[in-house]
Amino acid sequence: MKRREFLKGAAVLANATAFGSLARGGQLTPAPCPVTMLPMPDYGRDLEKEIAAVMTGDGLVLRGKKVLLKPNFVETHPERPINTHPAVIAHVAHACLRLGAAEVVVGEASGHRRDPWFSVLNPKLSSILDKRVRCMDLNHGDAVATPNRGVLTGLPAFYLARPVSDADVLISLPKMKTHHWAGVTLCLKNLFGVLPGIYYGWPKNLLHFRGIEQSILDLARTVKVHYNVIDGVIGMEGDGPIMGKARPVGSLILSPFSLAADATAARIMGFDPRKIPYLGQAGRFLPGLRPEDVVFRGENPKRFATQFDCLEDFKRMRGGPFF
Amino acid sequence: MTAAPENAALIKRLSSLSLAGGGVPYYKGGGPSAEPALQALLALSVSSAPAEISNPLLTWATKLQNSDGSIAINPVHRDQGLWLTALAAVVFHKFGLKDARDRALGFVVSLKSVTIPNDPRVRQNNLLTGWPWVPGTFGWVEPTAWSLVALNVCGLGGHPRATEGRAFLLDREILSGGWNYGNPGLNDRELLPFWDTTGLALIALHGQVDVDKVRASLDLLDKNQEKIDSPCGLAWAAMGLETYGRDVARLKMRLFSLLSSLPEDTLNAAHLAVGLIALSGRKVFVA
Repeated sequence: MKRREFLKGAAVLANATAFGSLARGGQLTPAPCPVTMLPMPDYGRDLEKEIAAVMTGDGLVLRGKKVLLKPNFVETHPERPINTHPAVIAHVAHACLRLGAAEVVVGEASGHRRDPWFSVLNPKLSSILDKRVRCMDLNHGDAVATPNRGVLTGLPAFYLARPVSDADVLISLPKMKTHHWAGVTLCLKNLFGVLPGIYYGWPKNLLHFRGIEQSILDLARTVKVHYNVIDGVIGMEGDGPIMGKARPVGSLILSPFSLAADATAARIMGFDPRKIPYLGQAGRFLPGLRPEDVVFRGENPKRFATQFDCLEDFKRMRGGPFF
Repeated sequence: MTAAPENAALIKRLSSLSLAGGGVPYYKGGGPSAEPALQALLALSVSSAPAEISNPLLTWATKLQNSDGSIAINPVHRDQGLWLTALAAVVFHKFGLKDARDRALGFVVSLKSVTIPNDPRVRQNNLLTGWPWVPGTFGWVEPTAWSLVALNVCGLGGHPRATEGRAFLLDREILSGGWNYGNPGLNDRELLPFWDTTGLALIALHGQVDVDKVRASLDLLDKNQEKIDSPCGLAWAAMGLETYGRDVARLKMRLFSLLSSLPEDTLNAAHLAVGLIALSGRKVFVA
């Protein structure tokens, strides 16, 4: 889909919002949205306790709940920080257990690797997880047809992997990266990975065909995310999300609000989130886009602010300084 | 031909995944899905499993066929996963279900990927037609390779769609060898080759193109044998290389060891079935 068509669709979305048809994900609750910067200079540091404390402070209740952690696994390359680091997944999983979760599942429907060995079923991941944490390949298995609450893709429904549909709490764990089609890939884009490849293919070409940005926005309206932890310890700059280079940032970004987490991460990466079309559009129905929507806890984000290298097309999305 | 005795435990493991109501799930505890059931049927056939094991599965699989010949992903979502129709055609052919096979092939031939103008960022011919994952979208390596396998196995390797499909696959081959899922490169940089797609694409092209055209991929797979460590990758690498007469004894040993030791909750039934086909050495996917 062309950008003009996207903007036309976005106008429909804006009108729908104006008439108050907010749907799932319509979290326009009173501002501000808490965002916590948790310093993590390297992956060797165990932040389980700190993560649990921040989650509790943000009002996340996990006792007795079925929790699904959704990391970002795209494909594996030894020299590129493409995926959410296993240490981050482990810290968050163990924090959930600490907070009394009845069940913690790490699930992913990787978009580029059909072989789950290169995603959540690699023994190296399970070897660092508590035995109570299960890893599930969301690409292969049952799905639940869930009505699309957005209007931009024209898809009547999304087929959500059943473990996603069955979970009481969904926690998004993306990697901080540039994206060669969308500008950045963070919490909202991470939702592509709740859709099984067996329905959508590898990559999920149907979503690309209907428009990556449109798909992100429709998924943001349809899938309820309860919490977000962005792996910004080492991000990816340049030709992300696969071919880029490592960019150390040294922090996790935690928030109950996906757009607030994404907007903060974008600013740390040196982008103005309002210039990134899908984030700007998401601001019409999700809170957290504007700086005044966000209240920072933990470290001052200024400490981590940098400027990610990016493809020429996305340099117009840069801005700042923001903090 | 009977299965090697050492594979008996794996066959039993696969058989145990069959659901009482029919079908096989990808993972224990899941609902029935077409792909693991279809691959299981092929694995059981090369293992000379008794008909009382495979017949209920075959009956279940034939019920997945839609009126247009396509095969549904599962009994619930009958308009999804139609790319699996090619695999179903292979199964129906092997089990002598001529009518079901011909209807499946009719659908396969009718299913075409969308073409788009060429893009300088991806040095490939976007005007070639292959097969999509989802109707109405672009062509990709795996569904195209499966469709070619079906046409080859069923004696339609000379069909014009097969000819263009082979051109599509060769166009998507990475210059230094192997196949990713679609593009061989982006912005003048090669993408990574994957072992499963590379093995499958090699099989799909076997006997239909000059071996020199795929030698880089064969050599890449061969020299990386020791690096391949997943059940799925080992199985497809073994089948791809063995189809071209390469030595895969060590690959098979590692595949057997891995399939025997995988914990139940992470054992993908389709991968177990494909692994058993690879271990059998039977060339199920070539004419």
